[in-house]
Amino acid sequence: MTHRSVFWLALLIPLAPLSAERPAINDKRAPQGREDLEEIQRLYQQALPAARAATVCIELGEGSGSGVVVSEDGLIMTAAHVTGGVDREFTVRFEDGRKVKAKSLGLNSENDAALAQIVEEGSYPHVPIEKTDRTRLGDWVFALGHSGGFDKARGSVARLGRLVRTANSTYQSDCNLIGGDSGGPLFDLTGALIGIHSRVGARLPENMHVPTRVFLENWDAMQGGEFIGEGPFAQMPKKGKGFLGLLAEAHDGEGIRVKRVGRESPAEAAGIREGDILLEMNGQPLTSRDDLQALLEEMAPEDKATFELVRDGKRQTLSLKLGDRDA
Amino acid sequence: MPRLFLLALALATAPALKGSLSLDTEFRTAGPAVREAFDFVQPRLQESSAVFQRGRKELIFGTVVSRDGHILTKASEMESLDGVSVVIGAETYEDPKLLATDPSWDVALVKIEAENLVPVDLSMTELPPQGTWLIANGATERDKRRVQVGVMAAKAREVFAAGGTVLGISLKEEEGVLIVEEVTEDSGAEAAGLQAGDRLVRFDGKKIEDRESLLEDLKERRAGDKVPVTLQRGEETFEVEVELSGRVDVFGEETTRNDMMSGEYSPRRTGFPRVLQHDIMGNRYFMGGPVFDLDGNCVGMNIARFSRCETYAIPAADLRSLVERMISQAGS
Repeated sequence: MTHRSVFWLALLIPLAPLSAERPAINDKRAPQGREDLEEIQRLYQQALPAARAATVCIELGEGSGSGVVVSEDGLIMTAAHVTGGVDREFTVRFEDGRKVKAKSLGLNSENDAALAQIVEEGSYPHVPIEKTDRTRLGDWVFALGHSGGFDKARGSVARLGRLVRTANSTYQSDCNLIGGDSGGPLFDLTGALIGIHSRVGARLPENMHVPTRVFLENWDAMQGGEFIGEGPFAQMPKKGKGFLGLLAEAHDGEGIRVKRVGRESPAEAAGIREGDILLEMNGQPLTSRDDLQALLEEMAPEDKATFELVRDGKRQTLSLKLGDRDA
Repeated sequence: MPRLFLLALALATAPALKGSLSLDTEFRTAGPAVREAFDFVQPRLQESSAVFQRGRKELIFGTVVSRDGHILTKASEMESLDGVSVVIGAETYEDPKLLATDPSWDVALVKIEAENLVPVDLSMTELPPQGTWLIANGATERDKRRVQVGVMAAKAREVFAAGGTVLGISLKEEEGVLIVEEVTEDSGAEAAGLQAGDRLVRFDGKKIEDRESLLEDLKERRAGDKVPVTLQRGEETFEVEVELSGRVDVFGEETTRNDMMSGEYSPRRTGFPRVLQHDIMGNRYFMGGPVFDLDGNCVGMNIARFSRCETYAIPAADLRSLVERMISQAGS
């Protein structure tokens, strides 16, 4: 046992690059000529490859955003308005084109922070999170993100700038963001993650990021899949808004008979067909249309529904996630 | 086209930033205090960048490529050279002449009467790594060019014409034959003399099977390529050469939300054989000028403002062969 812990410790040492100190160049109000510029360039170029390797494109439904991997087993930090909810499945693309499946964990809908997890086992390139609160106004920073969506020939787009405004729950930089960058990482010159891209203001230089500090405040709750707050960056699925997309009627015998399945509905996507006899939903017996209605009224979009059904005399089980009635 | 995540929340951010600390504009990346640190590269901009203007209005920038007055600029931003003057350093030159254009790179070669200019050195064969500081011409003063700074931001690559290339015609299919229905104004098809009613037989020597196969062939071409097309008009069969254009350059494109937040981007912004990408702030009128590194080496020439955060430049090595080709074509 002792041997084993020593072994692990030895493995962990090279994985702790956070000891890098806050670069002194940040303490100058402006670079003084060539040497200072070269120092910024040197630090930036040193940090860029690892930052790039961990920056991902998030493809969720019809949307495209960005994110960054922060642990070897694939924990991702991104924006709440990118994942939009808890337990959503999506595809993650690394800069080299490699695709893996992931699912959203919790989020903070009040300040646009969200976590997600790659669900395929593996060892993923990742970046350290800045946890010492050493970031200051005027610091040199760089942004990465899949601006405008994934483009393998281009890679993610890098931008260098300064922190031009700091507030409790927001950083503002002059690294210009655009659609597709949301959820992407903002780094300091040591390559430590300091923020996640969130939104832009009306004027060109207003680019807002969620400081990593905000993530750390709710870390355990978010990792545990909690939906925090009531917006504006994400909306909690509302009870009674769950959408199944089928019409059923009573018939002679057990269960209810599917009369019609809506086009492109969750029911259709799950493979429910006209004529199927639904016996149970989530363990509750269905004896009339009203039974199904009453159960659905207690459910919200994205809730899971499991049906016991009979088709051609054979029993089977089908599961699906409810859609949104208002979508 | 996927929905691209990014919120524009001008109102919601105001209360969130209450009590915040703010950096004076002077010290921001594009501010004068930071730009001052780059002053040692400014002479390169001063000597080798050109400003095309009509009266006091700046039209576009240019890059000086010979001692005796050859200048490259962005072709699609050059309407007419009538009444246009060119400023290099503190000198003004009148009567610039258009010698040649290259549609695939969207570059024009212009000549002014001058001697002893300082051309950019296009000997750089390998692009500097990402993260390298770059300097280009920003807003100019009457006698002085002003540095604008950024960094190498993405991989160098070919940028294909958005939506592929087109001949500039609309087609109908009758009994397996493709017939020209309409010829689009200012297109390669119009210049080659195509007419409504012409039947298309061959494209680049290959028999045209149907509309889909023709579209497939057009997808892999470059804007500016000249392709032989065989036509039938009445009893006559003949061949013409049609210059291909980017789809959006002929038929326009829908404005996306990203475009709406990008200010004045370049109308011609896709379809380039090779570009480097940087994040120097600017707009469509900042294109055409040279881009330098901290050593004052010419890295390339700005060719398109693509979006709020993406600008393309033609790499020096490509520019070098382009200059040689265009000057020899122009025969002077």
